[in-house]
Amino acid sequence: MDNLSLELVANLTGHQDRVWSVAWSPKGDLLASCSGDKTVRIWQHPAGGVQQQQQQQQQWYCCAILDQCHSRTIRNIAWSPNGRALATASFDATVAIWELSGGVWEQVAELEGHENEVKCTAWNPDGRLIATCGRDRSVWIWESMPGREFECVDVKQGHTQDVKVVRWHPGGELLVSAGYDDTIKLWSYDGDEWGCSQTLGGYGPGSGHSSTVWDVCWDPPGQRLASCSDDLTVKIWGSRSRMKTTTTTTTTIGGGPAVTLSGHHTRTIFSLDWGSHGLIATGRGGGGWGVEGGCYGGAQESWGLWVRVEGAHDGDVNCVRWHPVEPRLLASCSDDGLVRLWWLK
Amino acid sequence: MAELINPNPVVHERKSTVRSKPAQRPEAPGADGRETIDALEIFDHIRDINDPEHPYTLEQLNVVSEEQIHVDDVRGRVSVQFTPTVAHCSMATLIGLSLRVKLLRSLPPRFKIDIKLSPGSHSSEAAVNKQLADKERVAAALENPNLLAMVNKCLAPPPQQ
Repeated sequence: MDNLSLELVANLTGHQDRVWSVAWSPKGDLLASCSGDKTVRIWQHPAGGVQQQQQQQQQWYCCAILDQCHSRTIRNIAWSPNGRALATASFDATVAIWELSGGVWEQVAELEGHENEVKCTAWNPDGRLIATCGRDRSVWIWESMPGREFECVDVKQGHTQDVKVVRWHPGGELLVSAGYDDTIKLWSYDGDEWGCSQTLGGYGPGSGHSSTVWDVCWDPPGQRLASCSDDLTVKIWGSRSRMKTTTTTTTTIGGGPAVTLSGHHTRTIFSLDWGSHGLIATGRGGGGWGVEGGCYGGAQESWGLWVRVEGAHDGDVNCVRWHPVEPRLLASCSDDGLVRLWWLK
Repeated sequence: MAELINPNPVVHERKSTVRSKPAQRPEAPGADGRETIDALEIFDHIRDINDPEHPYTLEQLNVVSEEQIHVDDVRGRVSVQFTPTVAHCSMATLIGLSLRVKLLRSLPPRFKIDIKLSPGSHSSEAAVNKQLADKERVAAALENPNLLAMVNKCLAPPPQQ
């Protein structure tokens, strides 16, 4: 683990403002990014290439720009599991659904309901549901209906402050949300409605994060949850039990975080992503002097900071995401307006 | 006009700028070829910001002072503390936002700016500090035309005599 390194393989330039999020298509052939410039850019590689040699010999290029839809910052993007549609969440209080038709990306639906800024959107694994969250402190669940209609099936109150992130469990039976109230909430479906099955943190020191939770992610098998925060720590939550009934599987997380990783970061950790190799990439705030895209490894619970890339970007790293097929490829984006691709060696 | 939060603020005089060491201007850059930035320069950027409710500057109301500014030029860190005239000042967030915007517009992007209330100066100190430190909330606030107009009013230059 000690000789890992991250090598810069591509600079994707074009956004005119800070880049908030990146998302790989499910097959990994496309990368979408969204920005304060109110556009989404979709990036492609000529060979669809995921091998390092191809990365260096051929350039990634911008194959589509999705614009003139949102009137304010586009904060977050999510691919549908079949890779044919894209959801965009904007500070303009709407979520737009886009589909590729005849080689052109077209907006096919709009999800209206949030009072103000929408901060995150996530498609569930079977593509039937979309979760959204925002500054109005609520989590919304939308169901995809025939004819590209989306119907709101549930609005969940529970967070006391704005909700920064929603992510689905890989099994699809569980939704996790987190945000400005320092807590993480797990939501599950009881056959009738979605209810909060557990709240992580918020019960005083030691129970969880002590400041805003910016991002959460599951490990690939869906047994553990990682979270990162303005309190400069990454926490790993272990699942205590998985109760399987005939209709639902309930995951319960242990009483407190199993592991707290601290001391590696001096600025807010905005994003993290758990790769199929077991490494967690973290992106954090930092000035022109140091931004890292570090990795934590979890073999035999020996946690540590394995790679540190100072100056990875000339500004806060807002999002980091591992490639879904090639585990050595990582995408990052930043306030410096760049999307960068890294190769783990 | 709504009732003022602090009807009778203490007004101080604008101090004359005193530099204890020669100013390093672009024609006299530091060893690595860029201009060194110090607390006095940061103070010069923010001292004349208008108070949101009084016809005085933040310096005149003692909301900001050179002593409450700390700069680490090498690491690119600027920390500014400010002290509202009253502990229940509902304008604290707007003042903090104006400070942040002024410095964002004035400083090179390599600087990371932290804006906080001076300890014990406000009844909702932790809440205001958390809000000012949240880049997403700041970004959203600056996309709000009404709020941006209020910030720009605070940052407007004084009327010409």
